[in-house]
Amino acid sequence: MTGSARGAPSPGAVGVAVAGRAGARSWWRTPTARRYVFGYSLLAPAVLYVGLLVGVPFVFSLYLAVSDAAVGEPVARFVGLENFASILESTTFYVALRNTLVFTVGAGILKGLLGTTLAFLLVQPFRGRRVVRALVVIPFTLPIAISVLGWKWMFDSQFSVLNWALSRVGLIGAYGSADWPVWLGQPHLALLSVMFVNVWRGFPFGAIVLLAGMTSVAPEILEAAKVDGASFLQRFRKIIVPMIAPILFIGTAFDTVFTLSDLSIVYLLTNGGPDGATEILPTLAYNTGIRAGALGRGAAISLFLFPLLLPAMVLLLRTLRRRQY
Amino acid sequence: MAPAHRPPRSARAKALRRHLLIYLGLVPFLVITVFPVFWMAITAVKQEADLYRMDAVPFWFHQAPTWKNFDILFNRTFYRAWIVNTGAISFWVSVITLLTAVPAGYALARLRLPFAENLGIGIFMTYLVPAIILFIPLARVVAELDLQDSWWSLVVIYPTFTIPFCTWLLMGFFKTVPFEIEEAAMVDGCGQLGALLRVVLPVSWPGLITAVIFSFTLSMQDFLYSLAFVSISEQKPVPLGVATELIRGDVYFWGSLMAGALLVGVPVAIIYNLFLDKFISGITGAAIK
Amino acid sequence: MSDSGHFDPDPAVSRRALVVGAAAGLAGGTLSTMLEARRAPAQPRGTNLRILTWSHFVPAYDAWLDDFARKWGEKNGVRVRIDHIPHLELPARWAAEFAAGAGHDLIQFAGQIFTGQYYRHLLDLSDVATGLEKKYEKWMENAKTAAQVKGVWYGIPDYFITIPVLWRKDLFDSVSVPEPKTWEDLRKAARLLKAKGHPTGMQFSHCNDANHNWRALMYSFGVKETDPAGETTALDSKEMRESLKFAKAMFDEGMTPEVFSWDDASDNRFLASGVGCWIHDAISAFLTTKDTNPAVFQHTYVVPEVAGPGGLKWNVGEPNVWAIWKFGRNPQAAKDFIVYLTDNQKEAMQASRGYNMPFLRKHYTKPMPGLGNDPKLAVLQEQDRITAFFGYPGPMSPPAQEVLTTFVVPDMFTRVARGADLEATMKWGLGEIRRIYSKHKAG
Repeated sequence: MTGSARGAPSPGAVGVAVAGRAGARSWWRTPTARRYVFGYSLLAPAVLYVGLLVGVPFVFSLYLAVSDAAVGEPVARFVGLENFASILESTTFYVALRNTLVFTVGAGILKGLLGTTLAFLLVQPFRGRRVVRALVVIPFTLPIAISVLGWKWMFDSQFSVLNWALSRVGLIGAYGSADWPVWLGQPHLALLSVMFVNVWRGFPFGAIVLLAGMTSVAPEILEAAKVDGASFLQRFRKIIVPMIAPILFIGTAFDTVFTLSDLSIVYLLTNGGPDGATEILPTLAYNTGIRAGALGRGAAISLFLFPLLLPAMVLLLRTLRRRQY
Repeated sequence: MAPAHRPPRSARAKALRRHLLIYLGLVPFLVITVFPVFWMAITAVKQEADLYRMDAVPFWFHQAPTWKNFDILFNRTFYRAWIVNTGAISFWVSVITLLTAVPAGYALARLRLPFAENLGIGIFMTYLVPAIILFIPLARVVAELDLQDSWWSLVVIYPTFTIPFCTWLLMGFFKTVPFEIEEAAMVDGCGQLGALLRVVLPVSWPGLITAVIFSFTLSMQDFLYSLAFVSISEQKPVPLGVATELIRGDVYFWGSLMAGALLVGVPVAIIYNLFLDKFISGITGAAIK
Repeated sequence: MSDSGHFDPDPAVSRRALVVGAAAGLAGGTLSTMLEARRAPAQPRGTNLRILTWSHFVPAYDAWLDDFARKWGEKNGVRVRIDHIPHLELPARWAAEFAAGAGHDLIQFAGQIFTGQYYRHLLDLSDVATGLEKKYEKWMENAKTAAQVKGVWYGIPDYFITIPVLWRKDLFDSVSVPEPKTWEDLRKAARLLKAKGHPTGMQFSHCNDANHNWRALMYSFGVKETDPAGETTALDSKEMRESLKFAKAMFDEGMTPEVFSWDDASDNRFLASGVGCWIHDAISAFLTTKDTNPAVFQHTYVVPEVAGPGGLKWNVGEPNVWAIWKFGRNPQAAKDFIVYLTDNQKEAMQASRGYNMPFLRKHYTKPMPGLGNDPKLAVLQEQDRITAFFGYPGPMSPPAQEVLTTFVVPDMFTRVARGADLEATMKWGLGEIRRIYSKHKAG
């Protein structure tokens, strides 16, 4: 017998043909079948684990979203889309939805820009590069709850170190004057501040990944391109980006999903205030569903974007896989 | 094409200017990323009264620095237990993640299974379900397993978010392993499983390390699950313990909070850096496929 | 120079309390239990009691409580364990326990009152409540809004945290304003002192204090949040408009925009930094200032509450209410513990440095622990007479709780302070509140 199931594409057609001729029984002995059995048994643990612990609860949360469940009600009534109708009547919900989208897209763009710039800087050879590289990863190694608390203190309306420094340098007014920024209190500034903390945590990672990609491309290819007269940007766009695109996409996808469902930054800094300026869907869902006990509506709020995200993600991942093959 | 000789002065000047520009460009980044940590460090050794002064320079001490915050952290709270818990939780979560995500990643990457694509996507989709809803049915699961109020409950729950990510990560890594070595191993009589264990895994160890690093980091970010499932002080992981016992009502124990944060964050950052090269080479490998 | 009064001054006691009190079944405990067994008759023997409560802002109180419970447990053959988490995170924990059908036996609603949410799954505690009332005279009338559902006691009120006015006598003196008696006085003082660099501040943000401070203003102005049954909102009133207008005036004249970013602790810091001329804050701010800025503390005084234009005076406190899960495994021990704790209320209040205000009239016999002998805090010894809780005059029902946690009231005040049209704000706020109430009624 041959050395069995190779990873290389083995035309299913042969397997089928064999099965057709020799009967179902002996199909199990074919390399294809062995490969399937092997493959699915490798997959099984992960699929079972996630399926049971996430899939089943997810179905439960779908049920919550279409019921009038409250924290103290084990069995709730089916109410169809009433929860969704109800939240759509609330202006707070629209504000939260808008903020969520602005937050996610804005932070994503900023992370991309800052990450790229930093990567460009880090790809240059210079003394102390390793030290610098080591220092810039610190933001995402600190546990999120704690680093956000640090920022809370730095953005404090009275004791902010940033304001202290800026006012000493003369860029802003003194404490108490109209020129003293209240980072978490002025409407647009508050949203920018919470976005900034998200960016602060996330852009070093992007920079590192980009850096990895840029250094991985064989220098000869880049040299050749340079010789052919390609500018730096062209080299970047045409050679580097396509090569690291898969990782970039996955990283961006995960990061986007994480940002969309992340509650901690806003919860700890402003809890959605003032007057909803930083309210995002996760905090609204938490305050409505858990802290007020209206589970049905909380579930509806947090699952609201799901119908949009699901197809988007599926599309993204499908295209990614196609490109890889 | 370039002239064979350049006047040394000009070359050095050029190099110097280049260095200066790079450093200049890096300064804002370094300030942004490092300053908060410096700030946390100073706050950790400041006396509390020192924090509420409007006249003093906040970057340094007005009153003498003190170890009191660390004292509170270690002697008045269960910080030591929290660190041990966090380490243990992260370790076991990494083990579970590796045991499930490695085979899954390999199967999805190499074995051309039907429905593989959809399964992969399905696993990823679980991220779209927010924890604030999941934790309620999961509380039931934890109670059924009789793991309530033990950090083992977190060991069971955390893989729900580390496995999807690591599966995809490892998929990328495994794709980079050349078929030839696998085939060579099988020709030697290994069998598929043997090839996986003896050849593919050793070669992809940067990928495995990366998966472990991510398991650690993702585990340490959680707050809600630990809040819901663990209420006993000595069983708490660090982020939960610090946030729940150093914030009382509307009184924040800033010094101890920052001390607690740093003592955990800095070692992790150091470990990250040790593995950063491997991580990068791993990502690189995955990127070039 | 701050004294380490934050954490128990006796490290041996506190460490022991933390370790021993928190860990279940240490050898010592079991041994003494066995020894006791030969003497004392009994209470549930060799049983466990798990208690969940909040992290008190006076850490010494938590240490005392843990120790107190452990000692009681030893006497009665019960292994007691108390767990503490921040009050704002308790609802998540209760939801998880309820979903799991397992967890603690005795829980405490702290600030967020979920009696109305969970009453079907809580034990009827009327016998305990009536028993305590017989011993200690009357329950505070407003206590019933927190602990009763449809007239039945599902919880036993333990204590409440009061939120009075803390003011700087030296600053007031400098502009010849006497001790404030009305909101108008506070507004005037703020106006005069802002010009001198000492404004005041009240949170216009999404935080707990914002909810309570503005309600104190509202209730003092005669606003009723709901009808007495708590079924419909009653905010559409002249008084509500008056209070919104007043708040705007007070903001314009006496505050700075930083109040829009304040959280629960910001006003504590504001006072302790010496800048604030007065704040309306939980008594914890008094403690913070005492510990961090003695110079300012020297001039800081307390007023129980100030009156609105009609002479009405209402302070809004944060209640703590015990409740027992039906699925709890040791209801008898839980009830006994509640009674025992209430019997020792004086000791408890002392341990809290006078911050835990009782609900039973007899416990207001003077001098009260912590307050009676402190010249500044002695004024709080009649606090129960002027304290109401959110939802007043209705009960703390689920819709009232939702209005609270979605910060509708602070948002209304924020909009008006920022210059939004009063009627438009009223319309928005009432719309949100009516929607919430109708959702809960339908369910």
